[in-house]
Amino acid sequence: MISCKDLHVTFNRGLPTEKLALRGIDLTIPQGEFVTVIGSNGAGKSTLLNTIAGDIKSTKGQILFGDRDVTKLPATGRTADIARVFQDPLAGTCGDLTVEENMALAYGRGQRGRLSSALNSKMRNVFREQLSRLNLGLENRLESEMGLLSGGQRQSVSLLMSALQPSTILLLDEHTAALDPKTAALIMDITSQIIAEKQLTVMMVTHSMRQALDHGSRTIMLHEGKIIFDLSGEERAGYEVKDLLNLFAQARTDGEELDDDKLLLGA
Amino acid sequence: MSLFSFLGTLEIGLIYGLVAIGVYLTFRILDFPDLTVDGSFTLGAAVTATLIVMGVNVFLATLAGTIAAACAGLVTAWLNLRFDILHLLASILTMTALYTINLRVMGKPNVALIMEPTILTPFEGIFGLPDMYMRVIFVAVCAVIGGLLVAWFLKTQYGLAMRAVGSNKRMAQANGIVVKQKVYAGLALSNGLVGLAGALFAQTNGFADSTMGIGTIVVGLAAVIIGQSLFASRSMYVIVLSCIVGSVLYRLAVSMALNADFLGFSASDLNLITAVLVALALIFPKLRNEWKAKQAARNEA
Repeated sequence: MISCKDLHVTFNRGLPTEKLALRGIDLTIPQGEFVTVIGSNGAGKSTLLNTIAGDIKSTKGQILFGDRDVTKLPATGRTADIARVFQDPLAGTCGDLTVEENMALAYGRGQRGRLSSALNSKMRNVFREQLSRLNLGLENRLESEMGLLSGGQRQSVSLLMSALQPSTILLLDEHTAALDPKTAALIMDITSQIIAEKQLTVMMVTHSMRQALDHGSRTIMLHEGKIIFDLSGEERAGYEVKDLLNLFAQARTDGEELDDDKLLLGA
Repeated sequence: MSLFSFLGTLEIGLIYGLVAIGVYLTFRILDFPDLTVDGSFTLGAAVTATLIVMGVNVFLATLAGTIAAACAGLVTAWLNLRFDILHLLASILTMTALYTINLRVMGKPNVALIMEPTILTPFEGIFGLPDMYMRVIFVAVCAVIGGLLVAWFLKTQYGLAMRAVGSNKRMAQANGIVVKQKVYAGLALSNGLVGLAGALFAQTNGFADSTMGIGTIVVGLAAVIIGQSLFASRSMYVIVLSCIVGSVLYRLAVSMALNADFLGFSASDLNLITAVLVALALIFPKLRNEWKAKQAARNEA
């Protein structure tokens, strides 16, 4: 379970360039819920995810995983609970290391680096078995350098890596945005499988209204650092992409202009 | 080249093999260009030589020199990690400071060890070997053991985490790796190896001098590049040992250039020869790739 209580994040505090990125987020996500997060550019979606992951320090408020207050915990201290997949396919893996070395790093996530061998045959079997799920033939390329793989392949491996350790929370930051439609569909498919298998608590940021409604059981929309609506249950089931677009338009007339029209086309 | 000067070249090449491994750790593994080594090589030599003259056990003195150099690496890492000083600049600052510190450690510009016991003394006359062979074998054993330990280390969980930090910090962090800790450890290890090389150099050559470290980084880098362009491999053992081979080959090349009478070089031309050799080693892989691409294009046509 993730709870955010009155979460504030301010960048460049006290400087002329001060920016209020999050302005009082109150959000409780029960164990096993899949939440999709939408909002215009600069609304604070990625900031929210990065704050929950611990990359960004909150200026005010609290974050709890279950009953445990993790507000002060650095990112590395939260990795036992959190797995992440980034938007940039190159960001989630090391191009200089081999496929198996990358997976070994994820396999050891949340543990201390020890002076025992980083790879063994037991791990390799697990990796092979996991990679074969992708049907990309990567199970035979354990010793290939990650940098030689395509963006889609790398993103697929990052996704598998996020599921190698028993974490309870999965944070997906537009993880299909940089991929071609076919690969994006494949990745989304495997994402759903992994989430179902492990009963993860998931937050997925997306710019695609379709994706936001098709996946998960709840959708929240951020605007200027606040949650402006929170959809779930039957109300959400009745929603269409055009309804979401209307809500965006509303946000635009209520507040200032949305910065980017592209997102309105992102259906 | 006489046998005597060949063995001398081999000896220095092997000692600088440790420097090359240290430079490989920072430049290639951590992606942290570290010029501290110019100072830490001398620091290792200065601390060891001074302690030996004071009558300290040679092994303890060598260990002390190694640790002192490792601490110099920690200072550079601290300047970079704590205060966000650019890595290159942080290492130049430490290197500059070390120049004074080395003079203070020695109390004078150089310390002679000719009449003192050294780390080689216990091995004199072992198996009835003449000294000039024993010295080469001793430094070869030191370099190879050092190389094997580093290669083994890089294959452990901790070592793999360090390689991830150099390759992709964000990914490393997302996988629970404490990035700063790995950078500290890497710089300490790298400079420790360089300091050990300095300590061995001082003892095999019979002196420590405040200027002996100048250009260490270039020599180390040359060895890494030569080694890697000759032995392209993904195996950590091959990569690390190729640093040592690269260092020996580099020394032999320099020595041959200086010894070839028809070229007319003298010892004072060393730096130009070094720079040209390093430049050639850097240019070679690029030209080779371009040539291969051209060949492939011709074959298609």
